Parts: sequence; structure tokens; C-alpha cells
Amino acid sequence: MTDILTLEGLTKDWFGVPAVSDLTLRVRQGACLGLIGQNGAGKSTLMNMIGGIVAPTAGRMLWRGQPYSPASAADAAAAGIAFIHQELNLFSNLSVAENLYIDGFPRRLGLIDWRRVHARTREILARLSLDVDPRLSVGNLSPGERQLVEIAKALHNEAQLLIFDEPTTSLTARETERLFDTIAALRAEGRTIVYISHILGDVRRLSDDIAVLRDGRLVDEGPVDAFPVTRMIRSMIGRDLGGLYPPRTAAPRPRPVLEVRGVTQPGVVEDVSLTLHEGEVLGLFGLMGSGRSELARILFGLDPHQGGQILLDGAPLPAGPRGRIRAGMAFVTENRRDEGLMMEASIADNLSLVSLREFGRRPVGLIDPQALSARTEAARTELAVKAGDIAVQPVKALSGGNQQKVVIGKWQMSAPRLFILDEPTRGVDVGAKYEIYALIDRLAAAGGAVLMISSELEELTGTADRILVMNRGEIVGGLDRAAFSDERILSMAFREDAA
Amino acid sequence: MNLLTKFAALAVVAGGASLGGQAQAATICFAFQDLETEFWVAGHKAITTTLTEAGHQVIERNANEDANRQLEQVRDCVAQGVDGIIIIPQDGDSATTIVREAQDADVPIAVFNRPPTDLSRGIVVVADNATIAEAATDFVVEQALENATEDRQLNALIIVGDLGDPNAVGRRDGFRAAIAKHEDRFNVIEVASNWDAGTALANLEAAVTANPQIDLMFTSSDFLFPTIRSVLEPRGMWKTAGEEGHIPLAGLDGDATACQLIKDGYVSATGVQDLYFEAESALTAILAAIEAGDTAPNEVIEDPGFALTQDNLAEREMDMWGCVLLADGFLNR
Amino acid sequence: MIPAATAPPSASPPPFTPRRGLGARAGDLILSDYFVLYLSIAYVAALAPFLPTLTAPGNIVNVMSNMWPLLVVAIGQTFVLAIAGIDLSQGSVVALTSVVGAMLITTAADPAVLAKAPIWGLVLTEGGGPFAGLMGGVGLAVMAMLLVAALVGLLNGTTVAVLNMPPFMVTLVGLITISAFAIWLTQSENIARLPESFIKLGKGDIVSVHIGAKDSPQIPRREVYSFVTYAMVIAVGVAVAAHVLLNRTIFGRWVLAIGMNRRTAEISGVPVRRVIIAVYVISAMCAAVGAILYSARLEAGRPTLGGGTFLLDVIGAAVIGGTSLFGGKAKIIWTFFGVLFFVLLSNTLNLMNLSSFQVDMVKGAVILGAALLDVLRTRLMQERRR
Repeated sequence: MTDILTLEGLTKDWFGVPAVSDLTLRVRQGACLGLIGQNGAGKSTLMNMIGGIVAPTAGRMLWRGQPYSPASAADAAAAGIAFIHQELNLFSNLSVAENLYIDGFPRRLGLIDWRRVHARTREILARLSLDVDPRLSVGNLSPGERQLVEIAKALHNEAQLLIFDEPTTSLTARETERLFDTIAALRAEGRTIVYISHILGDVRRLSDDIAVLRDGRLVDEGPVDAFPVTRMIRSMIGRDLGGLYPPRTAAPRPRPVLEVRGVTQPGVVEDVSLTLHEGEVLGLFGLMGSGRSELARILFGLDPHQGGQILLDGAPLPAGPRGRIRAGMAFVTENRRDEGLMMEASIADNLSLVSLREFGRRPVGLIDPQALSARTEAARTELAVKAGDIAVQPVKALSGGNQQKVVIGKWQMSAPRLFILDEPTRGVDVGAKYEIYALIDRLAAAGGAVLMISSELEELTGTADRILVMNRGEIVGGLDRAAFSDERILSMAFREDAA
Repeated sequence: MNLLTKFAALAVVAGGASLGGQAQAATICFAFQDLETEFWVAGHKAITTTLTEAGHQVIERNANEDANRQLEQVRDCVAQGVDGIIIIPQDGDSATTIVREAQDADVPIAVFNRPPTDLSRGIVVVADNATIAEAATDFVVEQALENATEDRQLNALIIVGDLGDPNAVGRRDGFRAAIAKHEDRFNVIEVASNWDAGTALANLEAAVTANPQIDLMFTSSDFLFPTIRSVLEPRGMWKTAGEEGHIPLAGLDGDATACQLIKDGYVSATGVQDLYFEAESALTAILAAIEAGDTAPNEVIEDPGFALTQDNLAEREMDMWGCVLLADGFLNR
Repeated sequence: MIPAATAPPSASPPPFTPRRGLGARAGDLILSDYFVLYLSIAYVAALAPFLPTLTAPGNIVNVMSNMWPLLVVAIGQTFVLAIAGIDLSQGSVVALTSVVGAMLITTAADPAVLAKAPIWGLVLTEGGGPFAGLMGGVGLAVMAMLLVAALVGLLNGTTVAVLNMPPFMVTLVGLITISAFAIWLTQSENIARLPESFIKLGKGDIVSVHIGAKDSPQIPRREVYSFVTYAMVIAVGVAVAAHVLLNRTIFGRWVLAIGMNRRTAEISGVPVRRVIIAVYVISAMCAAVGAILYSARLEAGRPTLGGGTFLLDVIGAAVIGGTSLFGGKAKIIWTFFGVLFFVLLSNTLNLMNLSSFQVDMVKGAVILGAALLDVLRTRLMQERRR
């Protein structure tokens, strides 16, 4: 069997930082290659190079034995490579047929030959067993049907290689089965498939070969028969921890701070129960879309929930974030720029935002400027924010790590009982990460409770006392610090027994 | 920078001129509310040309229909040290306030054509609407009586303006006075317009349908002639004098359209506000007050006006401002 | 216990910088709170030799008296701009409250003029409004004006905050319907004959100055100029209160926080909806105070007040002062200087005998210039952070 696509020493640097380095990989004609790796392993950069979105810094690609260097997505499509993305690339306001023919319509006497367009579309849809009218607007289709329209578009463009990137994220179990049947049918026609997914069971089921990326390199590859899920996970992680995390200085106490009982919001979270104690750092791990950030928003009162109970220090909570802040909650969201800071405002103004009420004098809420600036200055000193005059310098001028310290600091000023930290080290450099981990330890040691959400497993195993794993809106398991095992946590998160 | 030098240059001209005026030449502030209709354009032109030709300095202020802005503009004029003020006010209430403001600052002021609510202060030039309307109506009443072959009742139709406006009330009163002279011969049909062409159109159509025989028609303002035409023409009632089915038509204002229609024979007469007389008397009065050192001249000057008719068209045409505009090619512009 | 508590950083002198270039100093000037004041002074100084009237006492009195009502309305707009909103309905609130106030206190009304108005018989009779001649009637009327304005503000604010409709749309609808309502109330007629005690609020003197006779007009004049008027006291009072509210209170911080980043403010526990509603109420009530000053000096309630280019003046003055249309950046003192500059501009253009069209064109150009200045300021700030 020949190779349809060959990558030789492919490298891509972003400002000197390699995203993909010296990658050599063969995709066999007519086979299905399963490509796996953690977030940031280099999968998207690799796909973007194949798709003509970014140009490699070094190395070359061969398409059917000929040198291949696409300058744009159109070049890739013309060569016969199609991408089926998790975010679909269809125009929901156009009809199925129009989406297929968007790149060029057949004409007759200068007008679009609709009869031909619809006939051909109907024929392609029949091959995919998709029974919809070509004139139907794509907006009216279900996610699964849209996916099939994407595939129909690939067939219309005579694609020989179809690359599926997390195609099942928004599909129901039934739609997923149908997609897998379609993939089997495509292979029967002799087309080649690259299948990328976090659901390792699916990857095993569909693929002939497996390739594992880590830190931009191909770290492992082989035929699927020799690739059990355990090998997949080991190859994906494969790195030592240690030295990156400050030691924990105090042990959790028995008194519960947060008790969540059976919280349910259909389609978001399902029957979530957990307890968080004084002085405890509870890690919450899950993949994108597992419901971890959504759970945080529900706990803080930003989003509603239908069933279940949330108690703070044994008392039920008022609705809405304001009541929960008063009850002692703090929430550092995953989106620092849009939800955490006022980028144009000074550091002092940002620090004082949450606890402003404490500095007002009745009756009109006249602020005591001396007391306020003393407190913000104290907070800055404690957080070691590297800045000039905090009353003048805007937070925009700070580094990501210092910005994050300001976000945590503004909550610290209101002395909360419970901190919810969603991706607290996103966009923060390694040095500042350490400071933030130390800060989290101090919050817990001072008697607070910390719920820490992260998609970086390492930082959770490095800082948390206990880790809970979420998968599809449910808490699927938990481990104490003594029992931490990356493999067990990942296997719960990826849930290879699903599908 | 360039803009600034331009302003500066303009300012030098303005400043120099106002300082360099001789004892006889006065600086007059002319504050008008807007130049929206033919009437006001003509009035504005009459006043400015007369003043400049007499060697006086005119400072113009356009308030763009904003009474507040007009007040501020008049105050600016006072601060600039003008010798007298002529205003065309936005309305009667603000006119009263502005007149008092000017007189309290020792500046004589004249109000042109739109009377203040309080006539007791300032020089006020107003047209005698009732007399003018009566003169115009008299002419069509004669024509209607001549045309009437039998002894039947004649239908006289009047389009009245907004009766909240004293001008509209005066015009209706003049019409009624003319009809009263032959009370036994006429039925009066009143059609409301509220000074709005759309309203006039709807009401007039209803009235003409209900009374197909109209023997004379008077409109309280010339600006409604196009509306009248659009109602009468499809019914075969828009005819020149002498043609079968002609209705004697009269109006009031004396604008260029009316002048054209009189010349063409569609309209028999229109009451004319003697714009040139009004401008002349306002100017004479204000200049006399300045001469006499009278800071608060109070006087009501009435413009008796006249009716331009088919009969006197030849002699008096050029006394009507609308015909002057017409001769200047106003309607072709 | 905390060293910083004894010496807050804002009180410490700025670091000494030995030599600063001309560009840096120009930057300081542009970034200063007083920039527009300096600009106004420079403008007057540049034009004074060519326009002798400009600095005449009579003209200064005019400039001031034109400033006060505009200032009050622009202060209200400043609050709305601070939360990245806009209130286009202010002009119509001026008209509505002007009519409402006048119909309550007018001492007599002419049936020939007003008999067709819907308020005739209901509120207004030949003997005037219900509060005519009443002890404290003017005070009651002022309260009624503020109340009506507050209701309009409440409606605007609730629609914006709760239904999340764009403020431009909400207040544009307000502008159209409220001004139509005001015109309908009186059928476009003015309500004159207001009591002296009300008129005094718009033009009454508290302190006036007598300067010797002047010789430029042919008739010598009384030279009595009113420097301290009721309008001035009211406007300055509103300005000081607004300054304290915006800069020194929790509410003011919340207003600016919402303008800077509404999501962050919400998550940080700021009562965002309540603050937005309050801001629109403040804006409308400021418009009502402006209506008092405008109606009093025109001695009539007018349903057409606040029309035309009034909104341009209000928003223009606030923006020239330095208040950002993008929200989060606003100071009352900026608006004060912006109004001063804007009124000076109108005044000088009038003195140059330009037509109102030319005046509006120049005003438009100046507002555009102010918007460009805002961009320049932002860029300067960013450069200085490096």
C-alpha cells in the first residue's frame, strides 16, 4: 500500500518556540490514522500546516508522492484534502445545495443551473443516506446532519483525504454511530481518513494506525493492535512532575465549607455532589465541554440550576452572584480579560472593586480614600505585584501573572470563605505560576476552601489535596492526594469505556 | 491654523466695520427665525437690501426655528453694542420675552409681521388680516353674483387655517364680513385645514363631493392653491375665467404661485400683505427711535394691505411681493 | 502596621525628572484635566484683539448665562456616557418637563390658543394651572418636573438594564415619542405667563455689577451686569454634587466600573442593573433642571425646547471635555470645561457674524476634533506606560 501523505521533518516555530518539531509521519492510502495528544501537543498546528493555513518553518510534505506546499485552504481543497471540524464551517443561512456549491455554481445561459445543482446534491446525499431536501436551510438541520453535509461537501469536492477533528463533541450517541458507519463507507470507497479525538475508545475502534503527539513531537506510533489505551495514555503524558510546585503548608480540616448535593441542569451538569472542607484545595479535572467551568458558574450563581442544593457553611445560598459574594464566595473566571479585570483602570481601582462597600460612609457612600489606599497598598505588598504607583498604573500594563495576582487579590480583600479558581494559571509564565500556586496554598492555610479547575492535570496533582474528575456533566470519580495517578484520572476523563 | 486665520480676517472686517460707522449710519441687528417659506425669504431680502442701500450696517442672525437660540442671539447683539434690533420671532410668546430683554438693555427693538402676545411693548408691524381678507373676498363675491343666472342660494366655501393662530382668525373674520353684505344669497361651507396641506386635501375633497355646486372659494393662505387644484382639476372644476365651469377663487398672502395663477386666469384675487410697506415702516420707526435716543419705542403699525385682482393686476402687480419674486424667476429656480 | 497607610502613594511627590523634552511637556498638557480650560483661555486670548466685544462685560455675562443650562444637561449626559451608554432622549425630556412645569403654575391661559389642547379643562383653565398663586406652587411644580423626568429615566434605564436593549435605540425611541407627547399635550402651543418667582430661577440676579457708561452705541446704555444669578447657583450646585457623586462615592466607582467592563463589574458584585437605572434617572433629572433654566429665561413652557441641534451641543460639550464615548472615562470638571469651550465657540462664531449653518458646520468639525483628541490621549497614555 502506498502513502497518500508523507510528512518529512516538518517543523513550525512561533517566534522561536517550536509548536511542531521535526515531525515525520506517513499516512497510508485508504487507511485510517488515529492521531492523539494532550491539549497543546501540536495537533492543531500540524493540521493547519496540512490545510494550508500556516506554512512550516522547515521540512516538507509529499501528497501522492509529489511535493505539496499549500498556500491557502483553497489549495488544500483543490488537492483533495477536506477537514471536518468540531466547529462546523457551514453557512447556516444557506441551503444544503448552496453550501456544497459555495465555491462555484454551474451556469447555464449565464444563470445558475439550479436543476443540476439540486440533482447532484441529491445524489451525494443519497450516498450518505441523508434524506433531506437540498433546498432546506442548513440552520434547520441537527448537528449530526450538518456533519454529514460537511462530508457531502468533501465528496462534492472529490476529497481523497478526510481529516476529522473531534467530530463527535456535539453529537448524540445515535448520530455518532451513524457517523462511524459513514466513515466505514468512505473507507470502502478507498478514501483515506485521519481521525483526531480525545475519546480514545473511538480512536481505537476506527483506526488502523495510531500516532501520538507530545510537545510537538511524534512520540509513539504503531498499528492499533499493539496499542491498548494504557499505552496511548502513557505516551500522551510521559513527563515527570516535581520542583514546579511549592509544598503544601497545612492539612485540610474536617469542617465542610461548601456542600453541593445533586445539582442538576439539563444538558450542562448532571447530579453533581461534592463537599469541600476548610483549608482544602479541591482540584476539578475534565476535558473541554465536560461541564467543569459550567459547574463553577452555577456554584457562583451566574447560571441557573434546576435541581439540587448548594450550601455554604451549612446555610443555603441566595440567588445571584451578589448574594453569594456577601455569603463569602469568590470567583476567578477563566477569562481574565473580559470577566476579571477592568483593563483600562488602575491596579488600585481593580483591587478595590469587590470590597468597595466597606469603605463607604453613610449616607451617600462617600469613600474614605486614606483607608482605601492603605488597604490596596497592603494587598499589593502581600501579593508582590510588580508595578509602579498602583493608583495610576493601569492593570493593562502588567504581565499576565501580575494581572492574575490582581484578580485573586481583589477577592482576597473581601476575605471570602470559598475561592473558585477557573484556570488560574492560563496565560501565565512558569515563574509566576509558582507564585500563584504558593498563593493558593496560603489561601487554604488561612482556613479558606479552594475549588481549583484546570485542564492541566499536572498542576492539579501538584497543588490539590483531592481531585474530582468530570465527564459529560457528571462527576465520574475522585482520588485523594496519596492515590493520585495520572493514568487513572485521564482514563476517567477520557472514559474510554464510553461509546 | 488656516481656519483660525480666516476667522481672524473675518473678525477684522466685522469689527472694523462696526467701529468705523459714522453718526448717521446705524448698526442694526436683524434676527429672524428661519427662511423656510417664500414669504420670509422675500421679507428678509426686503429688509436687508433697504438697510444696506441706506448705508446702515446689518448684522444677521438666523435662529433656525429655535426660540432659545434666538434669545441668545439677541443677547449677543446687545453685547455687541448694536443700535437697534429687528426680529422676525419664532412665536408670539418668545417675542414678548425678547422685546422686554432688549428694552431692559436700552436697545430699541421692532417686531416684524408675527406679533408678540403683548402688543404694548416694542415697535410691532402687523398686517390687518381681516381688512385684506375682506377686500379679496369682496371681489369674488361680485363675480359670483354676476355669474349667478337664477335666484338660487350660492355656495361660498372657505378653507380656514389653524384657529389658534390670530392670523387665521382675522382672515376668517374678513371673509365673513364680506359675505355678510349679501347674507341672503350665500350658504357658507367651512373647511378646516389646520395649516396643513394633507388635512386640507381630505376635508376639501369631502366638502366638494357633498356640495358639487361651489360658487366661490376663499383659502386662508395661498400656499394651499396647489392642494385646491388637485381636488378641482379631476372634477372639471379647475378652469380659467371665461371657461365653462370656472369658480371664482380668492386667497391671501400674495405669493409667487398666486401671482402666476392670477395671470393665468385661474385665481380671481388674492389679499396681499404689503411686505415692502411693512419692511419700510419697521425700518423707519427703528431708525427714528435711534435718532431720537428713544430706547423703548412702543408703537403698533398696521399694514392695511390690498387685494390684487384681475381688474387691478396691470397697475398694482409690482406692489405684490409674490409678483416681484415671479418676475425674478423665483418659481423656475 | 502597614507602612503605606501613613503615606498614601497619591500624596507623595512625583519622581523628579531632570530634563523633559518639548514633546513630553505637550503630552503632559494634553493629558491634564485642565487641558480644555487652557485651550479656552488660549482661544479667547487669540481672538480678543480681533473681537473687542468678546471680553466686554456684557458678552461675558452672556457666555455665562448660556453656559448654565447646558452645563446641567451635559452633566446628566456625562453619567450616561460614563457607563458606555448614550441618552438621546434628554432634549425631549427638557420639552416635556418644560410643558409640565408651565401648565401647573401659569397664572392665566388663553382659551383661543390652548382650548384644543388635551390638558385644557383637565389641568389648565383660563385661571391658569392648579398651582397658580399657591404658596410654594413653584416648588411643587419643580418637584413635579423632576418626578416626570425621573419616571422617564426609570423607563429608559429599566429597558436598557433589564431587557438589555441598546441604549441608542431605547433613547432614540424616547426622543421621538416623548417630544411628540409634549407637542400633543399643548397642541404645539407655548404656555406663557409664568410667575415671577419661577422666571427668577432662569434670569434673576443675586449679585450685579455697575460699570460706567459705554460710548459705542449711539444711545448710551445702562451698564448693569448680572454676575451671580440663580441659574449660576443652581448649575454650580448641581455640578459640585455630581462631582462628589462620580469621584468620591461608591456609586461613582461603580458607574465607572460598569463603563469599563460590565461583565467584570457584574461578577465582582456590583449591582449593575440598579446602577444603570439610577444613571438614566440622573440624566433625565438633569434634563429637567435644564428645562427649569431654559423655560424660566424664555418665560414660557415650550414643547419644542431641546429640539434641533440641542443634542449635538450636549454630547459635543461632554466629549470635548474628554469624556469617552466608550465608557469608563468621565469627570464632571472635564464636562464643565467642555461646556465652557463649546459656549465660547458659539459665542465667538456669532460675534464673527457667521450664519447659523456655518456655526453648526464649525461645531461639527470641533466635535470631530475632540474625538480625534480622545484617540491621541489614549495613544499618549499607552506610550507612557512603556
